[in-house]
Amino acid sequence: MTADSLLLVLVFFPLAGSLLALGAGYQPRLCRWVSLILSLMQMALISLLFFLDLQPHSGPTGTWLLAVDYPWLEGIGARFSLGLDGLSLLLLWLTAFLTVISVLISWTAINLKVGLFHFFLLFLEGCLMGLFMATDLLLFYLFWEIQLIPMFFLLGIWGHARRIYAAVKFVLFTFGGSLFMLIALLVLYVLHGHQTGEYTFSLYQLSQTPLSPTVEGWLYAAFLLAFAVKIPLVPLHTWLPDAHTEAPTAGSVDLAGLLLKTGFYAFFRFAFPLFPGAAQASIPLLLALGLVGMFYAAWIALAQTDIKRLVAYSSIGHMGLMVLALGIWNLMALSGSLLQLFNHGISTSALFVMVGMLDERLGSRNFQDMGGLWQQMPVFSAFFLFFALSSMGLPGLNNFVGEILILLGAFQIRPLIAVLAFVGVLLTVIYILRMVQDSLFGESRRVQPLRDVTPREVLILAVMALPVLYIGLHPGPVLRLFESSLQVMWGQFPMLARSLGG
Amino acid sequence: MDLILTFMLLFPLIGAMFNALVGWRLPRRLGEGVACAAVLGALVMAVAGFVLLGQGTLQVTLLDWLAVGDFSVSFSLLYNPLAALMALMVTFVSNIIHLYSVGFMREDEDWARYFCYLNLFVFAMLVITLADNLLFFYLGWEGVGFCSYALIGFWYSDPANAAAGRKAFVVTRIGDVAFGIALALLVYLFHSLSLSDLHHHATMLSPGLAALLSLLLLWAAMGKSAQLPLTVWLPDAMAGPTPVSALIHAATMVTAGVYLLIRMFPIVSQSPLALMIIAGVGAVTTIYGAAAALGQRDIKRVLAYSTISQVGYMVLAVGAADIIGGMFHLLSHAFFKSLLFLTAGYVIQALAGEHDIFKMGNLRRLLPHIYWPFLIGALALSAFPMIGGFFSKDRILLATFISPGVSYKVFWVLATVAAFITPLYTFRLFCLVFQDRPDGSTPEEIKPVPNFMAYILWPLALLALLDGMLNLPFGPGKRWLGVYLSSMPGSRVDLGAPLAYELGMGVGSALIIVAVIILTCYLYRPPGPAWRAPGWQALLFEAFYLDKLYQYLLVGPYRRLAVFWWQGADEGGIDRGLKGAAAGVEVLSRGLGHGTSGRLSTYVKMLLVGLTLLLTALALKFFL
Repeated sequence: MTADSLLLVLVFFPLAGSLLALGAGYQPRLCRWVSLILSLMQMALISLLFFLDLQPHSGPTGTWLLAVDYPWLEGIGARFSLGLDGLSLLLLWLTAFLTVISVLISWTAINLKVGLFHFFLLFLEGCLMGLFMATDLLLFYLFWEIQLIPMFFLLGIWGHARRIYAAVKFVLFTFGGSLFMLIALLVLYVLHGHQTGEYTFSLYQLSQTPLSPTVEGWLYAAFLLAFAVKIPLVPLHTWLPDAHTEAPTAGSVDLAGLLLKTGFYAFFRFAFPLFPGAAQASIPLLLALGLVGMFYAAWIALAQTDIKRLVAYSSIGHMGLMVLALGIWNLMALSGSLLQLFNHGISTSALFVMVGMLDERLGSRNFQDMGGLWQQMPVFSAFFLFFALSSMGLPGLNNFVGEILILLGAFQIRPLIAVLAFVGVLLTVIYILRMVQDSLFGESRRVQPLRDVTPREVLILAVMALPVLYIGLHPGPVLRLFESSLQVMWGQFPMLARSLGG
Repeated sequence: MDLILTFMLLFPLIGAMFNALVGWRLPRRLGEGVACAAVLGALVMAVAGFVLLGQGTLQVTLLDWLAVGDFSVSFSLLYNPLAALMALMVTFVSNIIHLYSVGFMREDEDWARYFCYLNLFVFAMLVITLADNLLFFYLGWEGVGFCSYALIGFWYSDPANAAAGRKAFVVTRIGDVAFGIALALLVYLFHSLSLSDLHHHATMLSPGLAALLSLLLLWAAMGKSAQLPLTVWLPDAMAGPTPVSALIHAATMVTAGVYLLIRMFPIVSQSPLALMIIAGVGAVTTIYGAAAALGQRDIKRVLAYSTISQVGYMVLAVGAADIIGGMFHLLSHAFFKSLLFLTAGYVIQALAGEHDIFKMGNLRRLLPHIYWPFLIGALALSAFPMIGGFFSKDRILLATFISPGVSYKVFWVLATVAAFITPLYTFRLFCLVFQDRPDGSTPEEIKPVPNFMAYILWPLALLALLDGMLNLPFGPGKRWLGVYLSSMPGSRVDLGAPLAYELGMGVGSALIIVAVIILTCYLYRPPGPAWRAPGWQALLFEAFYLDKLYQYLLVGPYRRLAVFWWQGADEGGIDRGLKGAAAGVEVLSRGLGHGTSGRLSTYVKMLLVGLTLLLTALALKFFL
């Protein structure tokens, strides 16, 4: 058994663990501990990979740090192949980390069908593990669609008042988008088969399919649509605020921290290498969508009355900047953008976690019911300010590093776009400060006292603050990981490097 | 030396972390003691560094920060005479203000948060002072911005205070947009953000690019240093505790913009056009601030507008290519303005929070401890002959006058008129507060204030009185400051003005200033001026309605549009459109009508069941 087969463990351990959690569901306490231990083990396992000193090596599915490739549906040429590179590794770690957080924050908040809840959490973790490593398109599509199931139920069962509406909207949007991707995928599969006689879903092989520009454009558009819904890009974003507003805290954490990342990840991992020509042609579109997203979402966020909706809109804005970096496509901007994936996963999740804590105490997420929280909950407020500052990109904290790399990188190629993006970042400051002011400062409007954070909550927040500081002050190792991933990617997909530069 | 610089930065940072993490659970004296000791440690390091450095230049790399490809940024320092002087000033003033704060905040329960932010501020300000890499500089720049935000809104339970902090942060961030763009442009041009690299390559810049860069830096400096048109945040920033106003909004942070321009002078000086624009901004701001100070009723707002005006002189000095004059005025302003703020804080506490100068008076009798320090500060601000502020302001006016071109003559006129308004508003303030007036404060209104808070001001007062000796135009120790800073590229120890100009201007302005002071004291003699000019007073009080204009033109529409985008475009337009499409599909499927319930949620559930089955089948297939 080689280190490569660890990848299988990474996918199937949480899936098997989810059944265990379901089984332990008859006793909520036991179930919580089981889920916590399982998710911690998974996180430890992934952390181990950072220390293995993995080197990229090439195999039948391309060049990866670790890869497995097994026959799966032999009749149609689909294989169970997974590959790990620096980007996947970091996203896997993020997934495992946020799953631990999700279990911890649901400790007292979830009392209904506890077993089922943790089953879905761990099941979702397993799906995402597979999704972030799949190098076979059919396998990827499978994970892509299946992640909807746990998310749908997390929203639909444990959500707030309008949960069914939000859950259905979420599934319809994403499923509607990905149907186009399925069609495009099948077309690509058939075309490749026709031309080479070899029917395969392998990303590596499909990326070498010669396509006429028209066909490539249409296929790319279908992928774009699927991923744009998930990221989400304006104007396909309206499911997101609703989903967040209705989701339980753990659902929001997974949604913002992980599910949105799958859209961007897929864009980067599949759409660009498969259709480099079309991707190049789409650059003005990506830049425009990214900028519009930044401005539009940040502007709207300012007007929100529900704090969770504000954070949801902030997500859309942040993702806009990352998509803009895709359109820039140089080493600096891409490194920043990949780092931002991780940063956004931590900071925005932390804000959702804190909004959840607030909701548990106030029974409301409306700014009208807040104000003066610092007086009653100083520790909570200090953490909230910290994560808010991280989200608005204060230097020394994580988001700054990603943002400044994107902006500096963008300026090297497209100064005008970069100047606009610099202005866009300013809008973030405006709504973040408004959020902080209307919640923490001002006169306290409540008569009954609020209890400050419990030790469990302090633990959660402190643990989430560590990566914020680490990335903010010492991002070097992570950036090197991305750099080698990007170099490998450009070596692996010469057409991509040729059309977009690398 | 590396260790000295490292510790200079680390002491305040450790102090801040101490009070943030554990200080608030410990006895008050301990937390305050650690905060003061941290700053004292920084001062000791600054002195040691100053002594050891001589006139050398030192570049130190502490740690790597980020690196992508062949572009890298590290936490690196550039320690030269300029940085050494600035560090001395920052740590010295911080020390006084920390000690003063122990007294000032004696009744505030939230002292740990206060001292944490204050220590953090000193750290960030020292980063600005010492940083070599501009991204590291930017870290300090945003760090002081954050501390300023947090301290302005320190008494957050009044929403107006918190809003003032927010306004300060946003307006300075508007300036920082240009800073960011300047950084990006520098990376594009030089592939490096290290100041020492940039200094070497500055001469390679084309005039156009140099002008562009300089103007971007100017815009950044306008935000931080509250120059026109970004002045509006500073008067509101007076909502913070007074020691904070003294430290951040008088002595250190507001001058960071000027310091940036001086630090980047090798690039700025490449473009005469940019220099002229910088001078123009400074000159117009001096007179704007001075005029607005004339119309204020709040003691701190008078001083705030005065700061805007005085920082304008420093910017003007940079524009007149006299960085030594700029630095000279920066130092003397730091001493006399923090002195004035601290005395104002004493007055405010003694009068139980009264800010309105028209409700003060008689304080010479009632608060004798504070009378002399305040008078020294007022004289220095007015540039009374032979006192610190006189030499520095005079030098800037001279440098402006001898700069070539008609425009500089215009700037000189503006700045000189402002220089004559300065004693007017200063002694208007002084007379209203301290002179005997029948309707002034009464002994019963006076609250006890620790005398310590007055005594601690004397070091500042002495410096304000004597700091002209740093750069005397004659006599022993002639132009010490200029000689010390002469290693800076582009510095002029001697302006080279004809003696007649120098003497004429010095004597002339001295006479006029003394005359204005006497006139002011006459005008505001008890019982105070009788004339009224409501329109003019309102115009000056509102500082030419600049703030109202921004509210009307920018802030209001921005907010209204936010609501419109949300409710009109997002929910009313996009979401309704998408829902319409969904409803269309539903109607269509109902029309087809085979085995459908017509409910979307049922479809979704069936879809998910189908997916689950598919997954199970595929998984089985894999394992079997």
